[in-house]
Amino acid sequence: MSKYQKQLHDIRKPLNTISMQAELIRMLSEKLASQGDDIERLDASALKIIASAKDCSQQLQDLFEEIEHDQSNQPD
Amino acid sequence: MKSILLIDDDKDFTEVATHIIEYLGHIVSVAHTVEDANEWIDNNDFDHVFIDFMLPDGSGLHIYDHLSKTKTRTPKCTFITGNPKIKQAIGSIAGPSVDYLMKPIEREDIENALQKKTVKKAGSSNNKKLKADSVSKATALPKMHFGCLIGESSAMQTLYTMIERVARSSANVMVMGESGVGKELVAQAVHNASDCDGDLIATNCGGLSKELIGSELFGHEKGAFTGAIGQKKGVFERAEKGTLFLDEVTEMPIDMQPNLLRVLETRRVSRVGGTQEIPIDCRVVSATNRSIDDIAKENVLREDIYFRLAVFPIDIPPLRKRKEDIPLLVTSFLHELNAEHNESYEISDAQLKRLLDHDWPGNVRKLRHTLHRAFIMGEPGGKTIELPSTFASPFSQMSTDEGNDGGQLQAGKTIEEVEKALIYATLDEVGGNKTNAAEMLGISTKTLYNRLHAYGDDA
Repeated sequence: MSKYQKQLHDIRKPLNTISMQAELIRMLSEKLASQGDDIERLDASALKIIASAKDCSQQLQDLFEEIEHDQSNQPD
Repeated sequence: MKSILLIDDDKDFTEVATHIIEYLGHIVSVAHTVEDANEWIDNNDFDHVFIDFMLPDGSGLHIYDHLSKTKTRTPKCTFITGNPKIKQAIGSIAGPSVDYLMKPIEREDIENALQKKTVKKAGSSNNKKLKADSVSKATALPKMHFGCLIGESSAMQTLYTMIERVARSSANVMVMGESGVGKELVAQAVHNASDCDGDLIATNCGGLSKELIGSELFGHEKGAFTGAIGQKKGVFERAEKGTLFLDEVTEMPIDMQPNLLRVLETRRVSRVGGTQEIPIDCRVVSATNRSIDDIAKENVLREDIYFRLAVFPIDIPPLRKRKEDIPLLVTSFLHELNAEHNESYEISDAQLKRLLDHDWPGNVRKLRHTLHRAFIMGEPGGKTIELPSTFASPFSQMSTDEGNDGGQLQAGKTIEEVEKALIYATLDEVGGNKTNAAEMLGISTKTLYNRLHAYGDDA
């Protein structure tokens, strides 16, 4: 697996978490509509989404800096 | 309710996926490594396994391999991958019980994977190219009844009518038929045709030890016995509002049968080590390859249980009694193999005639295996599959020796038919070596080749 493929794989992980936490929030919201007893888990899901988005953002920044570094080292 | 094993080293993923799957009404166990997964598999039975392709201590394929080798009934497997290239590796083992999901995964993906019927329609696949191919050839494909049965013979039409009728009721069904006729598919068909909300949960009564069968059927409470590290629901509970398929029910230890009878009579179950009685609501479809006479004579199933299970008995006809379905089955199997391997093999008229001439004591399962082998033996890039010189197996030969119905030396056969059977049996005996076969038969090699040519076998 190349360096960029590995980074791509690592970026997909938090993106997947973001997507699935959002799905969970949707499911909890549906349940809350009838019961209203899962506020804590809903909040935890929202926090996970924020954390995963930050993680993804940081990894994208790392990737950007690495590509920039690689390009600056390329012979003219 | 299904029992699911989720294997992925990404703990954020397993945490959220566990919540989602539990909200969908299933039980989830989690493993983060190949070693953990294999330990779960060795000590439990799962209905569905989600497997990450890349794990810290090996590949998801190692787990699939372990499942295939250790389980009499391989659960449905869904590989999870974020790398589109890995689809090809998974595609090579794709079959009716294997599929894959691409990350990022949505709730609907998980729902679809869990709700997918055990038997995929011929050629169905997540691969868009293969899907397109399937659609283009769909007009030539035989009709799939109840999503899993193929055949238009009068014997099968009678079977379809029985399935339709019994599906309207909640009666227990006992499916009988020779080995390989497709008893589990008929159970699936009854489930598909029924208007029920629950799942089809299957278990093999012949593959469980005396010690484990109680826990498998009725579940257990934490600490009920050594190794019961947590509470476990049995198959009766998991099949709530659905169908429970008890395969090889006549192989269940006789001293466990009173417990089963009690559950069937009271419609309530007590977990091993528990005191609470839990109501159950499921149809029981059981299966056996023994005849009613055998069941009665050999005392393998208590009479009272038989009448509870066989409220509606269904006898599946052997393949030799519905030979007109062979071309349809061959078309479907070949299309499925072509779609899975991206090939375009065909079968010649002479090869099809050979398949029609055989009695198939191993029934549809043997026909499928024969086609699969012929597909593998086909020349790469070629057009036609390569059938083996003989379809006989050591098991069918034993049946012949015992004068079983599947035998070939019966009054009413022509000398030509018997000669043909003898030639193929001899070829089988000498591993396909035509020189040795000719010598054993007392004919010249040229004569043997001429005979094989006349049978449409130019191999």
